[in-house]
Amino acid sequence: MRANDALSGLVLIVLAAAMIALTASFPAFPGQKYGPSLFPRILGVGIIICGLMLVWSGLSARRAGAPWVAVAPWVRDPWRATSFLLVLAMLLLYILAAETIGFIPIAIVFLGGLFLWLGVRPLTAGAVAVAATGALFWFFASMLRVPLPRGVLTGIM
Amino acid sequence: MEAIAQAAGLVFQPYVLWVIFASAVFGMFVGAMPGLTATMATALLVPVTFFMDPVPALGAIVTATAMAIFAGDIPAAMLRIPGTPASAAYTDESYAMARKGELDLNLGVNLVFSVLGGLIGVAILILATPVLAEIAINFSSFEYFWLCLLGLTCAVFIATDAPLKGFASLLIGLAIGTVGIDPAAGFPRFTFGSVELMAGISFIPAMIGMFALSEVLRGVVAIDRTAVPLAQRIGNIFRGIGSVTRRYWVNFFRGSGIGVAIGALPGAGADIAAWISYAVSKRFSKEPEKFGTGHVEGVVDSTSANNSAIAAAWIPALVFGIPGDSITAIVIGVLYMKGMNPGPTVFLQNPQLIYAVFMIFVLANLFMLPIGWAAIKLAKQMLRVPRNVLLPIILMCCVVGSYAMTNSFYGIALMTVMGILAWLMEEHGFPIAPAILGLVLGELLEQSFMTSMIKADGAFLAFFHRPIAGVLGAITIAVWVGMAWHSWKRRQGGVAGPVTPAP
Repeated sequence: MRANDALSGLVLIVLAAAMIALTASFPAFPGQKYGPSLFPRILGVGIIICGLMLVWSGLSARRAGAPWVAVAPWVRDPWRATSFLLVLAMLLLYILAAETIGFIPIAIVFLGGLFLWLGVRPLTAGAVAVAATGALFWFFASMLRVPLPRGVLTGIM
Repeated sequence: MEAIAQAAGLVFQPYVLWVIFASAVFGMFVGAMPGLTATMATALLVPVTFFMDPVPALGAIVTATAMAIFAGDIPAAMLRIPGTPASAAYTDESYAMARKGELDLNLGVNLVFSVLGGLIGVAILILATPVLAEIAINFSSFEYFWLCLLGLTCAVFIATDAPLKGFASLLIGLAIGTVGIDPAAGFPRFTFGSVELMAGISFIPAMIGMFALSEVLRGVVAIDRTAVPLAQRIGNIFRGIGSVTRRYWVNFFRGSGIGVAIGALPGAGADIAAWISYAVSKRFSKEPEKFGTGHVEGVVDSTSANNSAIAAAWIPALVFGIPGDSITAIVIGVLYMKGMNPGPTVFLQNPQLIYAVFMIFVLANLFMLPIGWAAIKLAKQMLRVPRNVLLPIILMCCVVGSYAMTNSFYGIALMTVMGILAWLMEEHGFPIAPAILGLVLGELLEQSFMTSMIKADGAFLAFFHRPIAGVLGAITIAVWVGMAWHSWKRRQGGVAGPVTPAP
C-alpha cells in the first residue's frame, strides 16, 4: 500500500506542527538563550519544509495521473492480508495478555497458530511450536535470567 | 605491547572461541536466507550478547556480520535472490555464471575474495583508528558538531537515491531521538508523563523493530513465493581461483579500496560499496561488454568491496562514535551498554578491548574460509528451510529479544511501533538508514550543537574558527551546495523530481 507523496507530506507537516506546538510548554532558563525547545523546533521546521516539497511533487505526480493511494496486490488477497494483520494482532495480544497467561502457553499458541495459517503441516507445526518455545524459554529465562512472564504456570515451574 | 598480550588473553579462551564459532554459524545461516539481513542478525544477536562480557559480545557481532555478508552471495548465485542487500549488485552476474556452469568458480571467487577483502578492511581499520584517535582527542564540540552533520549529510546524499525522502527520514530519526531527557538542560521532552520514555527511546528494541519486525511484515505477505535452487552439484570450489587472482588482482585491490572508503563514510555500508565498485569495475574494464553475461571480473571487485566495508565501518564508529553503516549503529549502542563509550578516549582507557576486537576481526575472516566452504556444501539443505516456519520463529525472537532489553512490555510495544513505522516508511519510498543514523546521532548532534551555540553565544562564525572545524564545516556546506546545484541543474534539464517505482 502506498499513498501519494502529497498525503505522506501532509502527515509529516501535521506531526511536525504538533511537535512544535508541544515545545511551547518547555521551560526557558533565565539568562540562557537556547533552551530544550530549540533543537526540536529546528527539526520541526525542517520536516515541514520536506513535507511541503513532498506535497508539491505529489500533486504534480497526481496531475500526471498517479492515484491517491496505490493498493498493493496482497491487500486484496484475503489470505495474505490476514497474515499481515495476524502478526500485528499477536503482538498486541502478547503485550496485553502475556503477563496473565504466561510466555510458554502464549508462545506455543501463537507459533502454532501462525504456522498453521501459513500452511505448515499440523504435526510439524505443533512439534516446532513446542520445540521453539522450549528453546527460547530455556535460553532467555534459564541461561540469561530474563524474567519472562510465567502467568498461569507460576508456582508450577 | 602489554595491551596486545592482554587482548590475546581475552580472545583466546575456549568460551570466547565457542561464541565466535556459534555466531559464525548463525551469521552464515541468516546471511544465506533471503529476506534475513546482516543488520537483522545483529539486532537479534544483541539481546543474547547483552549479558556477556564485552569481548565475546562484540566478537559475536563482528563474526556474525562478516559471515552474513559473504553468505548473501550463495543464494545470489543459486536462486538469483541476494541473501543480504550487500550482494544485490552482482546477483545477476553470479546467477549468469551459475547458468553457464560456473557455479563452483563463482562461489569459490566469492568466498576467497570475501576473506581477502575482509582482511584488507581489517588491516586498514587497525592502521587508521589509532592515528585518527590521536587527532580526535583534541576535538571540541565544534568539530563533533560538523562531523555529525557531515556524517548525516553523507547518509542522505550518498546512501539514498531519493535525497528529499532521505532527508525527511533523517529528520524523523532525529525527532524520535529527542524523546527523553534533553542533553543540555535536563528537561524531559515528549515523554507524556511516562517514566520509561524519560530514559529516551530504548535503542535495541527500536532496531529490532525497524530491521527484523518490518522484514517479517514484508515476508508474511509473500511467503509462498519461493525459488528453487539450480540443480547443480557443487564440486571443487577452489579450482580456477589462482588464475582469476593472477588476472584480476588489480580489481581485488581496487574493490577492497572502494569498500574501505565507502564503509568508513558514515551511513553508507556494504551494499553501496558493492554497487559502486561493480560500476567502477565495468567502467574501467577492458571488456565491459561481457558484464551481465556471467563474467567474473565485476564479481571480484564487488565481493571484495562489501566485505572490506564491514570492517571499515568500524573506523568512524570506534574513533568518533559515528556509525559507518546500520550495523555499527547498533554496535555503538552495544559499546555504550558495555561501558566502552566510543570516542578517542576508548583507546586510552580500554586499549586491550579495542585490540581484542581487531583480533576477532582477523579470526572471523580466517574462520570464514572453512565455515564458508561448509555453508556452500550445505547450501541446498539450508535454502530448503521453509520461510513459513522461519518467519514466525523470528517474530517470537523479536518479542523475547526486545522484552529482554527492557525487562518490560515497553520494549515490545516500542519494537512494534518502530517496526510498523519502518514498514510504512519503506512502503512509501523513505529509506530507513538515515532515520537510524538520526536516532543514533541525535543526542551527540544536539549536545555538540547546544554546547557550541552557548560557547559561541549565537555568533555562527565561531563554528569555523578552529582549523579542523572550519575545514569540516566547509566540506559539509560544499556538499550541500553541490547537491542543491545538482538537483537544480537536473530540474533545468527537464527531468522532474526523482521518480521511484512503487514496490
